[in-house]
Amino acid sequence: MSLKRAARLYIVGFIFIVLNFYPSKNLFSADVGNCLLCHKYPGLSRIDEQGKMKLLYVNEDIFNISVHLKVKCEGCHTDIKKIPHDPVNKVDCLVECHIVEPSSEQKFSHKDVDNYVKKSVHAALDKYGMPKKFKEDLPTCKNCHDEPLYRPLSFFKQVRPGISEAALGRCRVCHKKEDFIIRFYNHVTTRLHRTRNPINIAEVCARCHDDPLLVERHNLGTRAVFSYGETFHGKAARFLDERVPDCLDCHVNTGESVHQMLSHKDSAAITYRENKYLACSNIECHPGTSQQFASYKVHAEFNLDQSPVQYYFTLFFIILTGGTLLPLMAIIFLDLIRRLFPDAVIPRRR
Amino acid sequence: MEKYPLIKTINGRRYFYRFSLNQRVQHIILALSVIILVLTGMPLKFHNAGWAPYLYKIFGGIKAAPIVHKAAGSILLILFAYHIIYLVYVIYKYQIVPLRDKERRLTSGMILKLLATQPLVPNMKDARDIRDLMTYLLYFTNKRPDGDAFTWKEKFDYWAPFWGMVVIGLSGLIMWNKVLATKIVPGIVINFSLIAHSDEALLAALFLFIWHWYNVHFSISVFPMGMVFITGYLPEELMIEEHYEYYVKIMKQAGLDNEIRPPHGAHSELSTDEAEK
Amino acid sequence: MKNIFYKLYVVAFMCLTVWFIVIIWNVTFHHVIEEYENRKELEEVATIKEQKKREAEKTKFERIILQSEERVKHYLGYRVIEEQRIEGHFHHIGFDIGPDNRSYCIRCHGDMPHDKVRDLRAFLNMHAFFIACQTCHVKTEGRGPRVYKWYDRKTGELVPSPVLTYRAGTYNAKIIQIENTGVGEPQRVDSQERIDFASEFKEREKELSEAQKSKAKKMIHEIVSKQPSICEDCHQRESPLLPLHELGYPRDRIDSILSTEVVGMVKKYTEFYMPRMLHPGEQNKENEK
Repeated sequence: MSLKRAARLYIVGFIFIVLNFYPSKNLFSADVGNCLLCHKYPGLSRIDEQGKMKLLYVNEDIFNISVHLKVKCEGCHTDIKKIPHDPVNKVDCLVECHIVEPSSEQKFSHKDVDNYVKKSVHAALDKYGMPKKFKEDLPTCKNCHDEPLYRPLSFFKQVRPGISEAALGRCRVCHKKEDFIIRFYNHVTTRLHRTRNPINIAEVCARCHDDPLLVERHNLGTRAVFSYGETFHGKAARFLDERVPDCLDCHVNTGESVHQMLSHKDSAAITYRENKYLACSNIECHPGTSQQFASYKVHAEFNLDQSPVQYYFTLFFIILTGGTLLPLMAIIFLDLIRRLFPDAVIPRRR
Repeated sequence: MEKYPLIKTINGRRYFYRFSLNQRVQHIILALSVIILVLTGMPLKFHNAGWAPYLYKIFGGIKAAPIVHKAAGSILLILFAYHIIYLVYVIYKYQIVPLRDKERRLTSGMILKLLATQPLVPNMKDARDIRDLMTYLLYFTNKRPDGDAFTWKEKFDYWAPFWGMVVIGLSGLIMWNKVLATKIVPGIVINFSLIAHSDEALLAALFLFIWHWYNVHFSISVFPMGMVFITGYLPEELMIEEHYEYYVKIMKQAGLDNEIRPPHGAHSELSTDEAEK
Repeated sequence: MKNIFYKLYVVAFMCLTVWFIVIIWNVTFHHVIEEYENRKELEEVATIKEQKKREAEKTKFERIILQSEERVKHYLGYRVIEEQRIEGHFHHIGFDIGPDNRSYCIRCHGDMPHDKVRDLRAFLNMHAFFIACQTCHVKTEGRGPRVYKWYDRKTGELVPSPVLTYRAGTYNAKIIQIENTGVGEPQRVDSQERIDFASEFKEREKELSEAQKSKAKKMIHEIVSKQPSICEDCHQRESPLLPLHELGYPRDRIDSILSTEVVGMVKKYTEFYMPRMLHPGEQNKENEK
């Protein structure tokens, strides 16, 4: 083995070691405090005083594809100042974390989101600042959000899920930090489309909007996700079509934050009776739709109280179907008996 | 029409003319498109069922299956239009024109009477046949009802899909062209279309795949498969079992009075089969 | 012969027809009944809301059990992550660990038994995830060097070391002590005999008198040592209790387990909290101070 070759092997070996050992521990995540030393263990858990299970485990693999990968643990868990630490307080999502928003160069915070929510139908206080009835039913951040995960898209030749290596190649020309490139790519392409699959969105809404108790208490009129599931949109979503609208597409005014969802009784809402067609006639959905089109009842259920006209119409078909088929089945059955015992005799006139 | 002999004898067995080539081709197109429509439609209706995603995947999943469904639906609608034209043409050419030539005049009353006596139009005999079938099935008699050229079952098989195609086709077209349709009708019609389309389709599918297939394929006198939809000719035994009245008429017409076989139900047919062995 | 086949066919088809009837019923009239019942139920919810709510509170256990079964799939497009969903849990879990079918301790004490010492309980539970209870809580007076082996959580069988195959702590296996009593073959501390005894006690607990119960409990816990092994028994460089190398830990993992980071942390904990752990009864008083 020549010296040169040995040297090359040595260099390759060194790179291999560097790649495999040093960065693999924290290629992306901002685990400066080495929190994962303990929190990588899935068994790190306890039952708290209320008998609720507290799982303190953080799955590093999944955290590394989440939108918060660059936020240090202490960025959200601000009360942790030393290791080992005491039991922590609940995370306040509105805290200013250590990320700097590049355009304003201000410390980043979710306060704006909260301002939107305060104006929305989901706000806990009404517009006079008084607590709403059944305030405890109204959602807080974590009722809808778990750790958001990146859903990158590739646009290189065709649109497909995932990261385009070809596009990354372009990034690498100017940007040298691999984790920055991938994070930036993930962030931008995830933001260009739905952050979650329609079915995952529907699941989130269903946790409250399909709960019969909440539906009844807040007079919602429908188990929204259930009735959505009976429409073509909902069925296509179940078959994982991402082109169909989910709850947010129709219930949020175009171009506004999903956090600022308004009641359909609010004349500014896109779900308001006169505005509904604007949601349907979105350029990517059913362009050219009229007010009449929007009088289609999306959340109609087979329910006498909720949609009596649809109920009786369905009932007609149910009776038609059952009323036709069941007698025919009886004839088949009798025919089979007749053929099974062709010569059986019942006293009869001849 | 004249080119089909009413009775054919192959290997010593008599076969009776039922359907022309044109009708058989229409039927096969109908059958295939309906099967495809059901297979691409039912996974949506029963989207929660375990089998739904797999069946849907065969037709290309949510991206392609709706297109397949619309294509098959279009074929069916074109076939339906063709069938109406065919029907009008055949009745006009072979019945109305000769009638006009014979009577030298044509009133609407005559045409109505002619239409009402078409072989596929339900009549009182069907009601009697149904009653007779029930008495036969409940062992009150050993005599099967002796059906005419088209029995009530066949009329059912014809008119159920006929009505179904109107309902399903219309509602399908509305849902397909919903933006255009709601320029004329209110949005609630889309609700109705959805209900009508899926519920009527379920009725049609169950009706065809259970009742129709039982009668033409799975019933033990036909099992394993009735061939009349391919050959256009029905074997003598089945003709006797289902269309005895018509059978006698045809035999007499052909001058085969002496060779008319006695009527029988399924039981005696079994024993003749045994005897032949 | 042909006749018999005919008859069999007819009978089979009759069954099929019954099945058809059931299907047709389910897709037609059944819906009407279901709708009616649903509506009734909703009305009930409206009228006896409060009572329902109280009932819901009562079945909290059931809800917890049911909730723990809720599973979600996150569709990321290029990847699907399926995981258990814990209400209010923000971070993703991302993988499943099966239940430990072997351990008879957890049948009474649960999967997360450590809850006394506030600052240590999570760590102890974390270790209990891959170390059998007996390994720390039983000190055998056996002969010869102590032997430890891995056993599979699902089957309970001894398995080769999973350390190299899985990520730290996510092994589907636990470390168990092998006891050498000097009589016969060395056997696992969680021997079949002990499992059977504990199971039988659990089954027949209701028919036992108080005295019998106490006796049985005493016998089950007979082997439990008053002073369990503590963190420092393993997290120290001199002679760690568990033979990490034999258990399949590679050099770098052993270094990490015995690193100054970990050992240092353990030291801190020992200094501040360990005395309390050894006298759990005094914990509350300490807290009050």
